[in-house]
Amino acid sequence: MLNEKKGISRGAIITLMIVLVVCILTIVLENTINPNSLLFTVIRKAAVYSLVAVTMNLLNGFTGLFSLGQAGFMLLGAYTYAILTIPTDVRDSIYYLFGGAGFHFSTVSFFEGIIGDSGVAGFISMILGVLIAMLVGGIVAAIVAYLIGLPVLRLKSDYLAIATLGFAEILRAIFQWDKLGKVTNGANALRGYPTFADFNIKNAQGITVLRLSSFIPILFAGICILIIILLINSSYGRAFKAIRDDEVAAEAMGINLAKHKMMSFIISSFFAGVGGALFAMFASTVQAKTFTSAMTYEIFLIVVIGGIGSISGSCIASFLYIACSEWWLRFLDNTQYINGNQLPLFKNGFRMVVFSVVIMIIVLFFRTGMMGDKELSDLFNKKRRKKVKADE
Amino acid sequence: MSNNVLHLENVTMQFGGVVAVDNFSMDINEGEIVSLIGPNGAGKTTAFNCVTGVYEPTNGLVEFYGKPIVRNHPQGKMKKGYLGQNGDMYLGEVISQTPDEITKLGIARTFQNIRLWKSMTVFENVLLAKHMNAKQNVFSATFRTNKKEEERMRRETLELLKQQGLDKYKDELATSLPYGLQRRLEIARALAAEPKLLLLDEPAAGMNPQETEELTAFIRQIRDDYNITIFLIEHHMNLVMDISDRIYVIEFGKEIAHGLPKEIQKNPKVIDAYLGG
Repeated sequence: MLNEKKGISRGAIITLMIVLVVCILTIVLENTINPNSLLFTVIRKAAVYSLVAVTMNLLNGFTGLFSLGQAGFMLLGAYTYAILTIPTDVRDSIYYLFGGAGFHFSTVSFFEGIIGDSGVAGFISMILGVLIAMLVGGIVAAIVAYLIGLPVLRLKSDYLAIATLGFAEILRAIFQWDKLGKVTNGANALRGYPTFADFNIKNAQGITVLRLSSFIPILFAGICILIIILLINSSYGRAFKAIRDDEVAAEAMGINLAKHKMMSFIISSFFAGVGGALFAMFASTVQAKTFTSAMTYEIFLIVVIGGIGSISGSCIASFLYIACSEWWLRFLDNTQYINGNQLPLFKNGFRMVVFSVVIMIIVLFFRTGMMGDKELSDLFNKKRRKKVKADE
Repeated sequence: MSNNVLHLENVTMQFGGVVAVDNFSMDINEGEIVSLIGPNGAGKTTAFNCVTGVYEPTNGLVEFYGKPIVRNHPQGKMKKGYLGQNGDMYLGEVISQTPDEITKLGIARTFQNIRLWKSMTVFENVLLAKHMNAKQNVFSATFRTNKKEEERMRRETLELLKQQGLDKYKDELATSLPYGLQRRLEIARALAAEPKLLLLDEPAAGMNPQETEELTAFIRQIRDDYNITIFLIEHHMNLVMDISDRIYVIEFGKEIAHGLPKEIQKNPKVIDAYLGG
C-alpha cells in the first residue's frame, strides 16, 4: 500500500480486474443460464454478507473493538428501507392487521409523482427512491450507533461485545412490539417494496430483456466496500490500526481515542445499515425475527474464516460460506441412498453438524483465517517481487 | 534567564493509601536536558505520567510554558484520606487533560517498554504521529480530496527518517528492527509530533554500553537539531551524568536532592539511596 508513488500498485489492478470479471460473468451467466439457479441466490446473499462482514471487520479487525451488534444495525437499515419504499397504494393492505399504515410517505411514490410512474421514468424514480431510502437506512443506523456508542464504547473487549449483543436483541424485541405496529407492522413481515428483481430491465411488453438482479447487489456492496477500503488506507485508517495495536501509544501520539473509536463505530454501523437495506432487498420481506444473534455469529464467522483484518478475506469467505451453507452442503440434509441402502446420519440438521465441525477445525488449526491480515493485492505484489528477484 | 518550559508544583499522586509521588516540585528551562533519577519504585514514571495526562495527580499544579495544563486538589474519597501536604493550596479550578490533548500542546514521550505499533511499517509508525496535526477530516481523507496534505505528511516523514538514518528500514515492520533501532524509531516517532518538550522514559533500558554511548550522542544531537527541551528518566548513571544539565533525585516519591551532576555525585543522601544505608 505504500507504493502509491506510482499511482495504484499492480496487485490492486489485478484485484480490480478479478472483481470486474466476476461482475461481467454474473451478468452474462444470469442472462444465459436458468436465472432461478441457486448460484444467483448465493451471489446475491454473499454480496450483501460481504459488505456486512467488511463493516464488522472494520470494527473488530481494524479498530480492535470487539462488537457484536451488526444484526441490530442491519435491522435498523432494513426496516428504514422497507418503511420508506413500500408504495403508498399497497401500504394499507400490508398493515391490515393494525388497521392500515400509520406512516404514508414513500420515496418511490414520491419520485413517481415527480418524474412519472411508467416505463423509463418509473424505473428511474424507483432507483432514486431506493438509493435515498438506503442512505436514510444507513443514517438511522449511524445515529443510533452514536447514541449507543456514548456509554458503550467506554467498555473493553468482551464487555463491549456483550453490551452490543444485548443492544441488538433489545432492538429486535422493540421492532416486534405490537404497540409500534402502525410503523413496524409488529411481528409481521413488511413486503411489497422494490427488491433486486425490480432492477431487471423489461421492455414495453413486460418481458425481461436484461437481468441485473445479481449484478446490482455486487455493485452496491462493491461501492460501499470501496469506500471502506479508501478509509482504511487513509490517515484515519492508520489511526484505527494504531488504536488496535497499542491504545496507550496511540493516545500518547495525540490520537483522541474516544473520537476515533466513535468514528469507526458510526461508519461501520452506517454501512451495516446500508447492508441491512440490501438484505431486505435480497430477502424481499423484512421481519425482525430474522435479525437474531445467530446472524451476527454467522457474519463474525465469515470475518474469522476470511482473516481478521483482511477486507478481501472477508469478501472471499462470505462467498464460500454462503455457497456452502445454501448450496454445496445442502445434500447433507437430504436422505441419501447407495445401492438402495439408506445412509445413516443424512437427515435434516446434519448439514449444521458438518458445518460446525469445519468451523471448529478452522478456528483450531487456521486461526488467522484464509488471508490473515493480508489483502489479495498484497499477494499479487509479493509474487511480482519474487519474480523480480528471480530475474536478477 | 531562559524560558521556563515545564513547572511542577507540589505534585502529589496518591493511590489508595500509598503516596507514590509526594509534594514534588521541579522546573525545566528551555534547551535543557534534565534527568530524574531514583531507585526502583521511587515514583519516577508516576511523576512522568502526571505530566503526560495518563494519571490525574491527587494534588498540585503542572505548567507548560507558564500555562497550567494540570491542576487538581484532593476530591471525593481523597478529601478525607489525603496523606500529602498542601491539600488546600489548589482549591478551585480543576484542570485535567487526556494524554492526546497534552501531546497536542507539544509534549511528546517515549515509553519504558517500547510501544511501537506492531502491524505497521517504520514509515507508517512515524507518519501516524503527523495525524493529529493534519488539516483534514474523515471525508477529505477518505475521498482523497486533500492530496496535498497527505503528500506533505509523507514528505516530512521521509525527511525525518532520513535525518535519523532510518530511511533504509522504512518499509520494514517496526518490530522486526533490532532493539536499539526500535528505541531510535520511538524517539523519531515522538519527534514527528513536533514537540517542544520531549519526555524519554528510560531510553537506555536494555541497551549494551556501546549502544548507550551512541544514544547519549544521539539525544544531545536531537536537542541541538530540533531546539527542544528534554526531560528523561534513566537508570544508567554514565548516561545521566554525561548528558544532564541538571538532575533531580527522588526516593519514595520525595525529592532528596537536585542540582548539577557534579553535586549529585557527591551528595551523601543520594549515595545512601543508591547504595542502601
